[in-house]
Amino acid sequence: MNKLLVTLIALLLLTFASAIAGLHFGPAGITSNQVVQCLLGHCDNPINQMVIWQVRVPRVLVALVAGMGLSIAGAILQNTTRNPLADPYLFGIVSGAGLGATIATLSFGEHLGIALPLAAFLGASFAITIVLFIAKVLQRMEQLLLAGVAVSFMLGSLTQFILYFGEPFATNRVIFWLMGSLSRVEMSNFYVIASILLVAIITIIALHRHIDALLLGDESAASVGVNVNRLRLLMLGLCAALTATIVAYCGGIGFVGLMIPHIVRQVIGVTTLKLVIGSALIGGSFLIWVDIIARSALANAEIPIGIITSALGSLFFIFIMVRTRNTN
Amino acid sequence: MPIQLQVDQLSWSINNKSILKNISFNVKKGEVIGIIGPNGAGKTSLLHCITNQQHNIRGAVLHGLVYLKNKKIKNYNSKQLAQHFALVAQKAEAIFSLTVIDIVKMGLLPHKGLFALDDDHDREQIKHALVKVGLAHAEKMTYNQLSGGEQQRVLIARALVQQAQILILDEPTNHLDVYYQHQILNLVTQLNITVIMTVHDLNLASQYCQRLLLLNQGQLIADGSPVDVLTESQLSSVFKLPCQVEQRSSKQAPTLHTPRIFFSLPHEQHLKVKVGVQDE
Repeated sequence: MNKLLVTLIALLLLTFASAIAGLHFGPAGITSNQVVQCLLGHCDNPINQMVIWQVRVPRVLVALVAGMGLSIAGAILQNTTRNPLADPYLFGIVSGAGLGATIATLSFGEHLGIALPLAAFLGASFAITIVLFIAKVLQRMEQLLLAGVAVSFMLGSLTQFILYFGEPFATNRVIFWLMGSLSRVEMSNFYVIASILLVAIITIIALHRHIDALLLGDESAASVGVNVNRLRLLMLGLCAALTATIVAYCGGIGFVGLMIPHIVRQVIGVTTLKLVIGSALIGGSFLIWVDIIARSALANAEIPIGIITSALGSLFFIFIMVRTRNTN
Repeated sequence: MPIQLQVDQLSWSINNKSILKNISFNVKKGEVIGIIGPNGAGKTSLLHCITNQQHNIRGAVLHGLVYLKNKKIKNYNSKQLAQHFALVAQKAEAIFSLTVIDIVKMGLLPHKGLFALDDDHDREQIKHALVKVGLAHAEKMTYNQLSGGEQQRVLIARALVQQAQILILDEPTNHLDVYYQHQILNLVTQLNITVIMTVHDLNLASQYCQRLLLLNQGQLIADGSPVDVLTESQLSSVFKLPCQVEQRSSKQAPTLHTPRIFFSLPHEQHLKVKVGVQDE
């Protein structure tokens, strides 16, 4: 059996084990045996059944697909822009979502319901539309990333301006939402994210040779038949839709899209198929474990998931920088 | 030999600045053609125009027509073009740790459907191409760790897998030492396909090309065999240097002197050209 296959099987087992662990941890004190019994449809009491099927299963599944989606979006953006620091969050998606969430929260107050994720999605889509428009005008990838950062700051300042004059309770709600959390997710959220993830994965598999060709430069890719601008815009739009959907339901979860593809390149490979499969498995497992830490680290409180991913991500990058310096 | 490519009164400008002016020539199957001329003459631009890669540039206006197998080149889509032209750029830098086989595999793209995976025939083709360029041992090596000459050979292997009928090379000997210059040009001229390349080194152009196109300020000054194109008057006029062409034995190897530059013409012409000779 070759090394790649062994690695993929190991990662698949890791993902499965992570999901089982995610179902096991939690404040309700349900034993592993009870978890397995409930999953098999033989719950010994209705409370356990409710905790497992209505709280933990949706949470673990959303963590899995959100981790997969953010990692895949990061991997594809890095390969298509030939920039190892490209990240879905660099394109103003979180700032746009934050602006949408702010407007919705201040407009609807207590009766938010689906308005919050919807407004966040619209805000993220608005941000990416501006970035794509600038990209189409400029036709330069380096400037596209700078445009993303500029749009991010622009929308961020607009959000802060609105929040400054807004009602304090609503302001707090937006700030907590932006920190990222899986505490309010439902099965319907999983279905939406999983559907978009599936479309993204199918598109990427179909175009994996085209994306690979970009790794050797635009001119080189064009010479093997790739329509470079069209492919980049398609991939950017796809990653934006994926990230915007995840951000809409889970809030801001930074660094996953930046960190996971770096690990996958070291372990599995740099070409698109290997990178996407590896990022999906490692990214999904990673977010499940981060969520386990988020709900288990403190006795009576949950840590926002975005705080943990950002802390781990920044430490990871300091480690990478030190290792690179030592290698050089 | 049948005509593969026809360039008919081609002119190209960017933001009203003329880059190519009224260029016409034909390319026959199997010819090895060198495009020569000073910096800024329009050599690389001509390659872009004949391979229809010029349309991504803002403010560019193209006049004239290019026919590939008697069909207008603008009527080919990018995938069809890639089945006819394979481009080896001056230097391609890989991001991340791409291996040799990852890059050679890119040549399969124009022939594969969207969801198609590699099959045994593809693997055999890749292996064959790597053997042909002498890199069979290096398939798992990282591209960025190879020498300039080896990297060029990887790109040529990719072009072979691409199965294109016309190989386009943009300054293939740039960044290479003398040994690799001859190794690469020997390789491409023995592939038995049509080759069009831009070459800075007139010694190499005369030695390896059957036909030369001399460009200056976007105009085609001369088109013909090295003997016809590399004349004292034309070279002096184009390169703005006094130039002398002398007969020389074909058995002697090309000679390079600085500041005097000599080059010999192939076959039985026994010519020697000195570019940069002071008037005596």
